Amino acid sequence: MESVILFVMVLTLLFLGVPVAVSLGLSSILVIAFFSSDSMSSVALQLFTASQNYTLLAIPFFILASAFMSTGGVAKRIIRFAIATVGHFRGGLAMASVLACMLFAALSGSSPATVVAIGTIAIAAMRQVGYSKEFAAGLIANAGTLGILIPPSIVMVVYAAATNVSVGRMFLAGVIPGLVAGLMLMIAIYVVARIKNLPSEPWRGFGEILQGGKEAGWGLFLIIIILGGIYGGVFTPTEAAAVAAVYSFFIAIFIYRDMGPMAGVRWIQESDSKSARIGFSSLVYAVAIFFVWMILSFFATSEMQGVTFEGRALAGLGISLAILVTYSMLRDKGSNPMHIPGYLAASLPVWKRNLGLMGRNFLAAFFNPDTRKVMVDASKTTIMLMFIIVNALLFAHVLTSERIPDAITAVMLDYGFTWFTFLIAVNILLLIGGQFMEPSGLLLIVAPVVFPIAMQLGVDPIHLGIIMVVNMEIGMITPPIGLNLFVTAGITGMSLVKVVKAAMPFVAVLFLFLIMVTYIPIMSTWLPTLLMGPEIVTR
Amino acid sequence: MNALWPYLGMLLVILLIYLWERKNPAAVTRFEENVIATLMALITAVSFVQVIARYGFNTGWGGALEFTRILFAWLILFGMSYALKINAHLGVDAFIQMLPRNAFRYVALFGALCCFLYATILISATWLEFFGANSKGGAVDYWSKTYKLGIGLDDLRYPEWMQQSFGLQERVQRWIAYLILPIGLGLFGFRALQAMGAIWRGEKQLIIAGHEAEELVAENKDILKD
Repeated sequence: MESVILFVMVLTLLFLGVPVAVSLGLSSILVIAFFSSDSMSSVALQLFTASQNYTLLAIPFFILASAFMSTGGVAKRIIRFAIATVGHFRGGLAMASVLACMLFAALSGSSPATVVAIGTIAIAAMRQVGYSKEFAAGLIANAGTLGILIPPSIVMVVYAAATNVSVGRMFLAGVIPGLVAGLMLMIAIYVVARIKNLPSEPWRGFGEILQGGKEAGWGLFLIIIILGGIYGGVFTPTEAAAVAAVYSFFIAIFIYRDMGPMAGVRWIQESDSKSARIGFSSLVYAVAIFFVWMILSFFATSEMQGVTFEGRALAGLGISLAILVTYSMLRDKGSNPMHIPGYLAASLPVWKRNLGLMGRNFLAAFFNPDTRKVMVDASKTTIMLMFIIVNALLFAHVLTSERIPDAITAVMLDYGFTWFTFLIAVNILLLIGGQFMEPSGLLLIVAPVVFPIAMQLGVDPIHLGIIMVVNMEIGMITPPIGLNLFVTAGITGMSLVKVVKAAMPFVAVLFLFLIMVTYIPIMSTWLPTLLMGPEIVTR
Repeated sequence: MNALWPYLGMLLVILLIYLWERKNPAAVTRFEENVIATLMALITAVSFVQVIARYGFNTGWGGALEFTRILFAWLILFGMSYALKINAHLGVDAFIQMLPRNAFRYVALFGALCCFLYATILISATWLEFFGANSKGGAVDYWSKTYKLGIGLDDLRYPEWMQQSFGLQERVQRWIAYLILPIGLGLFGFRALQAMGAIWRGEKQLIIAGHEAEELVAENKDILKD
């Protein structure tokens, strides 16, 4: 009785245009007020405690990191790298766009941000070399959904918080499905390209890959911090996220200089001499490699005995010295090691100029309109998302206290559901729900109902999580409410119907992918089990 | 109904915001944005410094975790009213967009009313007894209780010098952390009322955003149009 009222009330409010969060929250508190003896004080307290969930605290950090990384410059560098890598295949630019979406997804965890950042550049480029607008738009709308499957992903954090599985495992579980989905899209492109005779880019050689990778590397190192930190057993996901947020702030303001007080100032000026450049670059590589070595070795050896900080630092110094000498010798005409001190001395003014610039602008980096705007935008997104999550948690609490999941589990088992048929039911439920609800909110409502049944039927919790995430992906590109469709229609100026049609062929690919993910559990569970050991299911 | 003054205090905060907004609406928006941005920056900075201190130097501040978690709650509970003001809360608008104009307005009004109800019930559910509910208490009631009891938080302590020079207790009182509950909910109710007025006068159409990227799309509208 109460449960029927609860569900009917939520759906009615939802379709009457009441905010999602308030639909869930108001229905829950009304049911509590009229049908239970809980005091409203405890509900208010729950609102507060739900807002301070430690696992969910990772969400604002990931949003912040993504906001700093979403500046135009990062996307451009990633696209350059992607084109250098796969551009020379038939249909190469389209494949490069998919690869760029995958890489960007690993930095941002947000699908609409991926579509806008990569789409604005990639769609224009594809049209220039002769792809149709429909093809380009449909492709980007689909590839953008990889944002929530490739770690770090906000939806995965939410799933982990709702079901008490480990965030680290979920992230790791997303890696292989993410790669497979990207590959499937690329294969589809290759097939289409063969049939339609789509153009390919010229092969620019390994130098271009290296050059592009170097540029994009500062940003892409973020993934290593997050994943390496979590799997090295060094950080909790929330801590890794906090480090990622600060790192991306630092990269965007001080290294890439796409925004903030130093926006547009280049590290090397036209007037710098050749020897100054060589000296500067070799030192940059040496210093960068040193830090990369220190961070990686810290992750890798954190649980080993007998590895000291001094030992790692000494080894790091050796490596970076070797890099410095090798690079200078390669660039030097006579390969004479005697020239190296001269190069280093010549680079000193460049260092002085840049470090001075950074020192002078250090405070301004924190307090300037660009930084403020990113902070406000990120907080807005956090608030909007977390308000839904908090109320969905309230709703889930009412569900559990009314023992609704138990009742549904009993009914489902009575009907003789097996894991095979059950997963079909889950997919259908989520695909329908995904048309109307924001992913995190839907996940929090569905998870408490579906999770206990899945455990009864012996479905792996990590596998179930990945299935849910892939369903959310498809929900983003299917009408009536598909976030990526709106975004793509918005930036391309095409009508929604046209975008839907354009996206269809690739949606078919993702459907195939969904079936694969659903019935090949090992795709999701292999990597986490390999790296983190078999998981213990405690219910 | 043991004490009225917490309610009056909450109303006073709302009144102050209201008056300030009448004089200078841009300043209030700026203030709200500064508050949420500062909270966000503080959470990030404290967490980051804590990570560095713990893994780099084997030290740290015992209260850091509780501090960031409380700020996180503050960010959400303070920000929800701001998000309502700028129509940032997500909703499903596909169906009501199909309604005729007049009905659309009433439905939009109903949406704002629901937000108002949400806030008022959570602030105090006692008035629902009139309709046959059996729930008592609410955010303000709970806050008064913690204020009277004066119990402290788990890990968050006042610094030594503050304890000594002001004669404070050791732990930071719980009611300070919970202050945001009545204030946040009060402001949320206030913004809902304002939205109702604005919809009634025809200045606002809806209180919801159809999808989370509306602003992002607006910024990049038709960039690639032929």
